[in-house]
Amino acid sequence: MDCHETTALLQAYSDDELDPVRSAAMERHLIGCAECAARRDELAKLRARIRNEVPYYPAPQPVRARALAAIEAATAGPARPRRERWGWLTAGALAGSAATVFAWFIGTAALEWQATSDIVTEAVANHSRATLGNRLVDVASSDQHTVKPWLSARLDYSPPVRDFKEDGFPLVGGRLDYLDGRPVATLVYKYREHTIDVFMRPVDSGKPTALRRPTTLRGFNVAHGSAGGMECWAVSDVNMDVLTSLVQHLTSTAS
Amino acid sequence: MKLPHVDRKRFEEAVLPQLDAAYNLARWLTRSAGDAEDVVQDACERALRYFDAFRGGDAKSWFLTIVRHACYDWIKRNRPAEIAPVEAEVIEDAADPAGLTPEQIVMRDATTAALDEAIAALPAGYREVLILRELEDLSYKEIARVVDIPIGTVMSRLARARGMLQRSPVLHSIRERSAGRG
Repeated sequence: MDCHETTALLQAYSDDELDPVRSAAMERHLIGCAECAARRDELAKLRARIRNEVPYYPAPQPVRARALAAIEAATAGPARPRRERWGWLTAGALAGSAATVFAWFIGTAALEWQATSDIVTEAVANHSRATLGNRLVDVASSDQHTVKPWLSARLDYSPPVRDFKEDGFPLVGGRLDYLDGRPVATLVYKYREHTIDVFMRPVDSGKPTALRRPTTLRGFNVAHGSAGGMECWAVSDVNMDVLTSLVQHLTSTAS
Repeated sequence: MKLPHVDRKRFEEAVLPQLDAAYNLARWLTRSAGDAEDVVQDACERALRYFDAFRGGDAKSWFLTIVRHACYDWIKRNRPAEIAPVEAEVIEDAADPAGLTPEQIVMRDATTAALDEAIAALPAGYREVLILRELEDLSYKEIARVVDIPIGTVMSRLARARGMLQRSPVLHSIRERSAGRG
């Protein structure tokens, strides 16, 4: 690859859009050519400055409220899918001798689902209340050695607190919330301009939590994880892949 | 506007997670907080009307395409002079924000605001690909879909946008560094 071609493809290279063959050819050229390497460095410098200095404007609260109002005004309500589900259940109950066993199974599953969906609903409510109001954190610190003792002093357990700044999730602080009728440790992380709340509590050995799959509620994503006797729910408007990646970090380092 | 056939849950799951990206794009294209709010509202209403045509998949590109159209319609109505053909060679001069004195340039360069001003001064066609790439982290393919241009054009517009920033007078600290390599 020569200087002419390198210059033409430098943007795509920097944006990680080159195929592996040309990418490797370009890397070989950049090792030998100081001028092209300087161009690459300038571009990298500019891009780093854009990402660090230029503001990202997340939607302010009125935008969210107006969007919800528009949806409310346009749709007739969420009644339809529910009616279908009941219709299906009714058909199942009428289906003969297996119906009793079947109904018992559905009933148990529904109860369990109800319990976790309450926790998910509460977690999402906590998250939106905190991000919409101005009480994002009770203790603002990126230092786990500040956040952990603060939380431990106010709870009957000591949640693991780790900063994942290097992985793109800087810890910004901690907060106390209520979840499932008990105080819970909330760790607040950032991902770019997004806020991620992680509700962390000991696993209740009496009732294992049913939610294992990630879920979405009113536009917020919720992911669950557990390790080392603790379980957590992460809630945010970041996409699910990002959220589950944080949960993996949390569960792989929980002590 | 009543659209009882719209599946509300499905719509909320598709659109609500994109509101930050939508507002950010609208904010950078209209360059005004209040106007961006109105544009996102308009985009939500359009999305409700067009939701039947959404077949699942990439909700972000789909919604940002609508937001972008809403932005340009808004600009056309309210500030038609801003819509300039991006292909024209002359617009490179437009990257220079209205006649700054050298003192003003030095003043501005002292703050980090210089870089956003330089971006805000880019012609819209360049500004949008830059914002979608650098702030939304969209791939060339996704940007091509949102802006409705070929992938090659995405690449050349990005190159032009970044080139304009590197040469922008409000950012001469970058220029100095690059001039030093001669």
